[in-house]
Amino acid sequence: MRRILYIEDDLEIGSWVQEDLEQRGFNVKWLKTGEGAEKAVIHSDLVVLDVMLPGLDGFTVGQRLKKEAPQIPILMLSARTAVDDKLQGLQFADDYVTKPFHPDELAARIEVLLRRSGLSASNEIKLAHICVNLSENTIIDQRNGEEIILTGKQYQIFMHFIKHPNQILTKEQIYESVWGEQYMEGDKTLMVHIRYLREKIEKNPGSPEIIETIRGIGYRVKQ
Amino acid sequence: MKLKNSLLNQYLLIILLAIMIVPISFLFISIVFFNYLLIDEEPNKYQNGADLEAMWHAEAQSLSGASNEQINEKLIKIKNEYSEASVFWVDETGKTMGKLPENQPVPPIWSTSLTIDFMKKNRGLEADPYTVVSLIGKQKDEGFMVLQVPRSVMLSTGQSLQDRYSFAIILSVVAILAIFIFISWIFFYKIRKRLLRLQRAMSNPTESGIPDSISVEKKDEIGQLEVSFNEMIHQLEDSRIREKEEEMLRRQLIANLSHDLRTPLTTIRGHAFSLKKEELSNKGKESLDLIDNKIGYLGQLIENLLSYTLLTTGKYPYYPERTDMVRLVRTSFAAWYPVFEGAGFQMEVEFPEETFYWEVDPQRMERVLDNFYQNIYRHARKGAYIGVKIDAPLQQIIIEDRGPGMRGESIEKGAGIGLSIVSLMLKDMRLKWETDTGNQGTIIKIRKSS
Repeated sequence: MRRILYIEDDLEIGSWVQEDLEQRGFNVKWLKTGEGAEKAVIHSDLVVLDVMLPGLDGFTVGQRLKKEAPQIPILMLSARTAVDDKLQGLQFADDYVTKPFHPDELAARIEVLLRRSGLSASNEIKLAHICVNLSENTIIDQRNGEEIILTGKQYQIFMHFIKHPNQILTKEQIYESVWGEQYMEGDKTLMVHIRYLREKIEKNPGSPEIIETIRGIGYRVKQ
Repeated sequence: MKLKNSLLNQYLLIILLAIMIVPISFLFISIVFFNYLLIDEEPNKYQNGADLEAMWHAEAQSLSGASNEQINEKLIKIKNEYSEASVFWVDETGKTMGKLPENQPVPPIWSTSLTIDFMKKNRGLEADPYTVVSLIGKQKDEGFMVLQVPRSVMLSTGQSLQDRYSFAIILSVVAILAIFIFISWIFFYKIRKRLLRLQRAMSNPTESGIPDSISVEKKDEIGQLEVSFNEMIHQLEDSRIREKEEEMLRRQLIANLSHDLRTPLTTIRGHAFSLKKEELSNKGKESLDLIDNKIGYLGQLIENLLSYTLLTTGKYPYYPERTDMVRLVRTSFAAWYPVFEGAGFQMEVEFPEETFYWEVDPQRMERVLDNFYQNIYRHARKGAYIGVKIDAPLQQIIIEDRGPGMRGESIEKGAGIGLSIVSLMLKDMRLKWETDTGNQGTIIKIRKSS
């Protein structure tokens, strides 16, 4: 069961979000203030943190939590205007949702964050004819049950797509997160890698089904 | 203000000094010279003709009945005492008996006419040498003796001193004048220096943008100016602190306002969402969708309103940097792509290989583009088309739609605050936007304002 530490001072929103997330299958521990959060964070997989808290403000609490448990993702909820929050808040937060948020959006963001830290709802993701097993790090072609072996960079690129589902990633974004260096305009390395990746995972690399090209913008993997 | 501490006082003193300096310095120097030098100087024994005459007559009388040798001895004695004088004597027969010094042109025999001529020639105040003739003996029948002193040695002590020291006196006067000029120069130099110090203090602001206060050393007019300057600095600092506090309060107010408006909206959305899970008619579901839609719109409106307030008061964060514009536009549109895709828009993007850089705040630039996309998504659904293009050679961003145009009717037409924000933000970044709008659609071009 995936455990969420939820810190929110507003009782109405708090009870509603707790209920909603529990219905979606999360184990939610709800704190009304930042007190005790540092202890509770150790027993959590993800923190949903409201910016406006009585006593310590959400930013301070978030920074302390990040210090205590750097590997636990933090999702900020804010009712303040994005103007000042975004700059301060995102320095430690892994994601950011502005009120009034939609519960589906919140759940989707939580799901993405959990997947990035390796705590997906299911360990298996099905994409067209292939099945990705996240706990075993295998990619199986379900047509013949054979494992698809990827090179280091191909695997990194593919996992980057898996961790950012349904998101359109520009070639700069992919290159910089996989290679860890500044993308140079006109560099064809990424295109070459994606072509080889497609040859391995797509049924027909000429008209790809899994890694979709968004012309002029980038690539996307829908789930 | 007390006159004691006034520059005016010092200035008046200098003026007074200027008026008095020439006469006073002459007087002073003269007093110094004559008091000191006259005391030290031996009085000139030749200076008084009457004294010489009395002395000569007395000697002549005392030689009454003396022999020739006695007279000669006496003359030698007198000559020794009055070395500058020349003396000779003539006996009762008119014969020159002795003369000192020996080489003086004295006739050996004195005839009556010669004697009278000599007397005539050497008479008067101007005659040089000064001549005293005394008849020897009480009966004045033993001949006569003559004392001659050049006028040049008969100057009075004062006169001779003046002759000797006149150069020194002039030099002293010049020196005193020089000292006076020096003092008045010092006076103005000091004033100038202090004024310059004040000027430098005023024109050298510290990091806070306010000059440092300066130390006040004197209580005169400039000192008072410095005191006033320091007071002004304090007032400026105070007002700067107040301004910061006000800014903090305003930001706090906006943050709180945003919070207070959004929190209930979140609750409403939550309840609407819960309600949607209940058994509802289609009409009920439609209403809930509308509520949800409006909640999103309100949230956006709050955001825009607060941004607008911050922008118009110059409090919106602004961090310009050299930005790759193709990359920025591409990334921002990538986030919107699924939204337009979901709404069934036809999308056309055209990003060149070559990019260009603008000095802009990326956050603001994204906000500007977001607002344009938002408008198209909300008002131009009918056209179901969005084109995002970058013209690298002309350095412009082109956003196109086929909606009813900006003057057209839209279901969700607002006060246009989103576009006001766009204008303000672009203006800050030295960019401008042009629109070509009609009922067939709108073309927006963003480029540098020339």
